[in-house]
Amino acid sequence: METLYKILEEARADVDFRNQTGKLIDDGILDSFDIIAIIGEINEAFGIDISVDELLPENFNSPEAMMALIEKLQKEV
Amino acid sequence: MEFVSAIFLIFVSIVCVIYFAFPKKHRWVVLLIASYLFYWFNSTYLAAVLAGMTVVTWLTGLMIEKTSDKASEYFKEHQAQMTESERKSYKNSVTQKKKRILLLGVLIDLGVLLFFKYHNFFLGNAASLLGLFGIPMKDYRFDLLLPLGISFYTLQAIAYMVDIYRKKYRADRRFFRFALFMSYFPQIVQGPIARYHKLAEQIYQEHSFDFTRLKFGCQLILWGFMKKLILADRLGILVDTIFDNYTDYRGGILFLGAIGFGLQTYADFSGGMEIARGVSQIFGIELEINFKQPYFAKSIEEFWRRWHITLGTWMKDYIFYPLSLSKRFANLSKKARKLFGNYIGKKLPSFLAMFLVYFLVGFWHGSSWKYVVYGIWNGMIITSGILLAPVYQKGIALFHVKEDSYGWKFFQMVRTFLLCSLGRFFSRAGSCMIAFSMIRNMFLYPRTWEFFDGTLLTLGLDAKDLTVLAAMIILLLLVDIAHERGVKIRESIASQGFIFRWLIYWTAFYLVVIFGMYGPAYDSSSFIYQQF
Repeated sequence: METLYKILEEARADVDFRNQTGKLIDDGILDSFDIIAIIGEINEAFGIDISVDELLPENFNSPEAMMALIEKLQKEV
Repeated sequence: MEFVSAIFLIFVSIVCVIYFAFPKKHRWVVLLIASYLFYWFNSTYLAAVLAGMTVVTWLTGLMIEKTSDKASEYFKEHQAQMTESERKSYKNSVTQKKKRILLLGVLIDLGVLLFFKYHNFFLGNAASLLGLFGIPMKDYRFDLLLPLGISFYTLQAIAYMVDIYRKKYRADRRFFRFALFMSYFPQIVQGPIARYHKLAEQIYQEHSFDFTRLKFGCQLILWGFMKKLILADRLGILVDTIFDNYTDYRGGILFLGAIGFGLQTYADFSGGMEIARGVSQIFGIELEINFKQPYFAKSIEEFWRRWHITLGTWMKDYIFYPLSLSKRFANLSKKARKLFGNYIGKKLPSFLAMFLVYFLVGFWHGSSWKYVVYGIWNGMIITSGILLAPVYQKGIALFHVKEDSYGWKFFQMVRTFLLCSLGRFFSRAGSCMIAFSMIRNMFLYPRTWEFFDGTLLTLGLDAKDLTVLAAMIILLLLVDIAHERGVKIRESIASQGFIFRWLIYWTAFYLVVIFGMYGPAYDSSSFIYQQF
């Protein structure tokens, strides 16, 4: 989880991800360019491949949702 | 066998009768045979290319899935005993293996497309390049017949293989059924570019005969005929006159040519889509919508979300996102952010991917540099629009523009229409240089009086034709406004009284018969996108 926070904070230093209550995508906190940058970093750090089909708001609305997606993809080949 | 021909209508009618006469379970077989017959009528022995690519794509899908299934089973059993690094390296090796199979399939399919469509482009450019270094190269260029619809079904095939690789759905084990997905005749000529999970199930389903569907399908076909024969082919005469004799014209007339070509392409391509969707609807199969009133777009980006939608979403899913999400692009993004700061840095990799997409969209249209310039022109406007957004916002605040006012929206639509039309010079002119010279002559010598001094009547259409043209453009505009407001036109007509309803049907029919551009003196031209 700490790795994920680091990636998020590096991409958007102005957002407090640890105490965020709003929805990151639905509330427009992250834009599509942020998401693209973040996914690239996540893919590299966690050795997974997030594909287009997983690009749904509900997968990226909170750090917890992102972590759930990462863990799901880590279990798959 | 052209879509806009009596023989096609007879063909569809016969297929229809046989389709519904067959037992439900085997109706898809009728479509498969009809599809290959249709292909044979149009491209004879080149049907072998389609069949060959179908085999390659089908086998690739099965092989990727087999590798994937085997690995999943092994991983499930052994992952508990594996260390973190062992897991990572196992996953990596499986991904590499799957990637190799996918790459082989894609390269074969793409190779066939490149060979048939682009061989002369590459040979010609190789000769020019060697010529630059003073090395002479013999002219190896040769003419080949382009297999019908190859630009469309190659993209369909690639999407299928990549989706299996991404485990979006299971590979199709039934070869002949898969062959129908690849060859389905209403959409093989010029799309819409179908996705397997949206089309395949529908074409294999057991459809019963439905009179409303038949009626609605025929109406859609009729509307397609109206757009193609009354509008597109008539406008084509004017556009051809201007572009074929571009040195004779200046200013407004040249711009009229570009606007005309935009409208001609719209009526031609969307008309073709309506015929394809109408025919398909009769069988009970819904094809994707390829156009959503593109000329109401308020930005070029929105225009491409409304124009040739299935190509746009294909590019997004199989080029733009895979590239932007790749590790290489992630590294690039990191470096760019350090170099240029967050605002530009984080956008740069997406811009690169976007430029590549528009380059490919341009190149996909044809084997000529002018299409590449056309693509890049669109990419440039979109990226500059995103980059300059803060400047625009300041301007909007400065001039107190009400962003939700009708006036502002109308201004945005006109602006997008004009920018779009400017790009049309490249897609229609004989070459890039001609397009540049036309644009120069348009701005340098406006000659607006030519719209009123009778010049319009010398462009191949007489006053009567120009009136029909104007009336048809207004009708198209009204239909688009209705669609934009969510009106379902066919349903609305169906709810009217018997006399009014049939008055509309017969009027539409006679309009095509009387004002359609065909007959002994005139050959109905092929669809523009059929040649891509």
